[in-house]
Amino acid sequence: MRITQGLEQTQFISALNSLESNIATNQNDISTGLAFTTPSENPAAAGSVNELDQVLSQSQQFSTNATSANSSLETESNALGQLQTQLQSLYSLTLEANSGTESASNLSAIGAQVTQIQNTLLSVANTQDGAGNYIFGGYATQAAPFALTATGATYSGDTGQAKVQIAAGETVATGDNGDVVFNQIKNGNGTFTVTAGTGNTGSGVIGNTSVTNAAAYDGKPYTISFTGPTAYSINTVPPTTGTYTSGQAIAFDGVQITLSGAPATGDTFAVDPSTNQSIFTTVQNLITALQSPSSSSTGKAQLNNALAGVLNGLTQAITNTGNVEAQVGGRLNAITTAQSVATSQQTQLQTSISSLQSLDYTSAVTTLTAQQTQLSAAMQAYTLTQGLSLFKYIQ
Amino acid sequence: MSDLFQISLSALQSFQTAISVTSNNIANANTPGYAEESVDLSNEVAAGGLQLGIGNGVEVESVNRAYSALAENQLNTSQSSLSALTSQQTLTNQIDNIVGTTAGGVSTALTNYYNAWSTVANDPTSTAARQALLGTAQSLAQAFQTTSGQLQNLNTQINSGITTDVSQINADAQSIAALNAQITIGTANGGGQPPNDLLDQRDSIIANLSTLVGISTTTDSNGAVNVFIGAGQPLVLQNTVTQLTTVPNQFDASQLEISTATSQGNVISNSITSGDLGGLLAARSQAVTPTLNELGQIAVGLTTSVNAQQNAGLDLTGALGANLFTTLTPAVTASSKNTDATSASAAITSVGALTGDSYVLSYKSGAYSLTDQQTGAAVAFTGTGTSANPITADGLAITLSGTPASGDEFLIQPTTNAAGNVAVALTNPSQLAAAGALQTAAGANNTGSATIGAASVQTPSNANLLTPTTITFSSPTSYTAGGNTYAYTSGGNIALNGWQVAISGTPAAGDTFTVQPGAAGNNQNALALAGQATLGVVDGGTVSVSGATSDLVTSVGTVAQQTNTAVTAQTSINTQAKQTVQSISGVNLDDEAASLLQWQQAYQASAQAFTIGNSVFTTLMDSINGTYS
Repeated sequence: MRITQGLEQTQFISALNSLESNIATNQNDISTGLAFTTPSENPAAAGSVNELDQVLSQSQQFSTNATSANSSLETESNALGQLQTQLQSLYSLTLEANSGTESASNLSAIGAQVTQIQNTLLSVANTQDGAGNYIFGGYATQAAPFALTATGATYSGDTGQAKVQIAAGETVATGDNGDVVFNQIKNGNGTFTVTAGTGNTGSGVIGNTSVTNAAAYDGKPYTISFTGPTAYSINTVPPTTGTYTSGQAIAFDGVQITLSGAPATGDTFAVDPSTNQSIFTTVQNLITALQSPSSSSTGKAQLNNALAGVLNGLTQAITNTGNVEAQVGGRLNAITTAQSVATSQQTQLQTSISSLQSLDYTSAVTTLTAQQTQLSAAMQAYTLTQGLSLFKYIQ
Repeated sequence: MSDLFQISLSALQSFQTAISVTSNNIANANTPGYAEESVDLSNEVAAGGLQLGIGNGVEVESVNRAYSALAENQLNTSQSSLSALTSQQTLTNQIDNIVGTTAGGVSTALTNYYNAWSTVANDPTSTAARQALLGTAQSLAQAFQTTSGQLQNLNTQINSGITTDVSQINADAQSIAALNAQITIGTANGGGQPPNDLLDQRDSIIANLSTLVGISTTTDSNGAVNVFIGAGQPLVLQNTVTQLTTVPNQFDASQLEISTATSQGNVISNSITSGDLGGLLAARSQAVTPTLNELGQIAVGLTTSVNAQQNAGLDLTGALGANLFTTLTPAVTASSKNTDATSASAAITSVGALTGDSYVLSYKSGAYSLTDQQTGAAVAFTGTGTSANPITADGLAITLSGTPASGDEFLIQPTTNAAGNVAVALTNPSQLAAAGALQTAAGANNTGSATIGAASVQTPSNANLLTPTTITFSSPTSYTAGGNTYAYTSGGNIALNGWQVAISGTPAAGDTFTVQPGAAGNNQNALALAGQATLGVVDGGTVSVSGATSDLVTSVGTVAQQTNTAVTAQTSINTQAKQTVQSISGVNLDDEAASLLQWQQAYQASAQAFTIGNSVFTTLMDSINGTYS
């Protein structure tokens, strides 16, 4: 091969250019700390980093969502705690009123306290969060969901339950609607209720009620009618009849009802399947019962029966509130778990991104040194060969 | 005796010429396109034939160039390919930088936008969260527009490159034609001596021309070179030139094409595949347009899915959500060559079915044909182009205003300009539809075990869509809704007023279920909009909008990387060809030094012969003088 000086020159310059451009790229990588700054340097990694960045950002948003859900649930938890306290106070007051020893004036004083608590309950039911949203309105967060009426309270919220996403594929409810917390409470013992007939003239008082055999109870309405002071009949098919002894349980169709006192002939006690009864209805029933005390044995029995219904309602409400509190606690736990998972996921994502994108300094610096050596060697070789010319020897 | 002088003189003259040629070689050692020259010496035969076998000295037959047409052609071809790749590389590297690792900022803006919906879902009535969302939507639109604008600028850059190339090609062609004329005359008049300087000059212009456009050449017997470009279109024939011009693309006046005449009929862009010009055209059709198309596909996927979800929700005022982004419609342009005023329009029927490519609809002899502009393949379609039965293919529905003339063509670009047109249509934060359009609830006193699912909007335009409806079960097997009684099947869909809902389980007589408009605190639609971050939208609904941005980054990077690799490979091929040409035609200074010594010595020897001849003559004269003295 015949080499010409012109070609040598051109080739040297182009080799120099390419070496210097490699050094510049390497230098840029070292100064930015990135293994690549444009996709062409590593197309697959660039695509992955883009994707991972988005996943990371989404995961960070999930953490933000979790924090927001956490604060909503904390607000709800506080409100439920307050609700529980008020229900306990009501329960104590009702027990006190039901002791049978309270005078009419004492009962009316208790009634005043209950009215006070009723207002507190209303304000709990209409709790607003920091942003002014009613937390027990379901989706209807912009208007107070509860308003008192003569018989309880109306609920103008809905049954919606807002959720937020706290992890990929995992949502958590940020609250419970007022319907679930205040309205969807079974009266009686949760399965059935026993109500004294309004025209009862005797002093029969309803005591403990329970389901002894859930399979045998068919949920139909029944009436216990007293055919004599010690005889009763129940309209089951065929009719159940029995002898009444005060304080002894009457059992039929898998249920057991204890009555005490002296019912009069013709007195009735209705056994109906439980229906939902709002806390506010229960409280209103209590206020109504306390407003009309009577000293007669019939009147006392009426008061006792009414208060027994209220106590049942309050027990159910306390249980229901406890259930909702447990659910909120469960959600708070889920959030804590999700947040810790998200944190470790974010760390992992950052590690992945960094392993794809961050420069391996050791290898970059080694490469740079090698490139520098190559460049200086090329320069030296060029000056050496350039010195070779026959003309130098022609004198 | 005069022979001796004659011989020495001829030698002195020839060697002087040889020294001049060598000096000229040395002088032109670094002149581009210069081919090493050498003298062709021959024995000069005496007028009366060889006497005793002795010639009459030496003569310079001709001065020849060291030249190989084959090597030159190979160099020119490899140079054309290299120039094409280099000009492509310039553009793909620019795209690489514009798109970068975040798809031009689109993927970052996109994540911020989706996250903003999550924030709205956290507190759907917060005006601040809604305002922030509008801000992120605005930034997202901006990112699309900026990236698209930068890519569109490359087209402007390509146009000016094409214009410059074409004018240089024309100038080179003129020069070659002019040199052809001179060389023809020179060869004819030179008496066998080639016009080396002119040949060098022409070769160097041809070499320059081949960096601009791929060429092939033929040489006529009279010395003239004919130059052809593309698929054999003559550029120079003897001393006539066919001028190239630039003409606007028949569909898109902003894109320049190459033509051999000012009319549209002679567009030869498709056959120009190498040289700087070929590289520019290839970069436009294979890098810039596909990138714009892919970005546009992302834009269409985003805006369509977002708007559809917005339309399915309720805004803060209780009205159905309006489009958040302006609707992007495919661009349809009629060819400037069409002979009929028929116009065409297109609509996107399925975002998932879009390919990102553009299409040419042709009407010929009573039949339509649809061609994918990027792949060149025929596309199967159905329909006749009327509004009742539009031509549908690949997620598009094309409607024509009438029957076009035979030979008419239309270009349909579903996504090319889409990214540049992304804009936020809403200004009021309360117009963001965070609430689900409908919410369902079971009656508080239901005694059955039936449950109701979420309601889905089927016909957003139904006037009664938002009318609250109660579904009442008159028995466990039948229900009334909207005044009519229907038979109940567990899990079956109940459709009314444009919505659809499923009730499953065993209801009791008297049970009720309600379907009513979403309340302000309902965040179902905001959750759905935030969830679109991972929802498959494009490519048949398999790839999310975010995923598509990652794909764009990878594909752009891959194209740039491939071009870089191809340039490196072609550079070494080109270097090889250069070495071959240089080893044949280049000037090696050591060679010249040796030649110089050789000719110098021969010259000195000839001069010595002259001196000897002189002394022989003097001796003779002296002897003659001695005889007569």
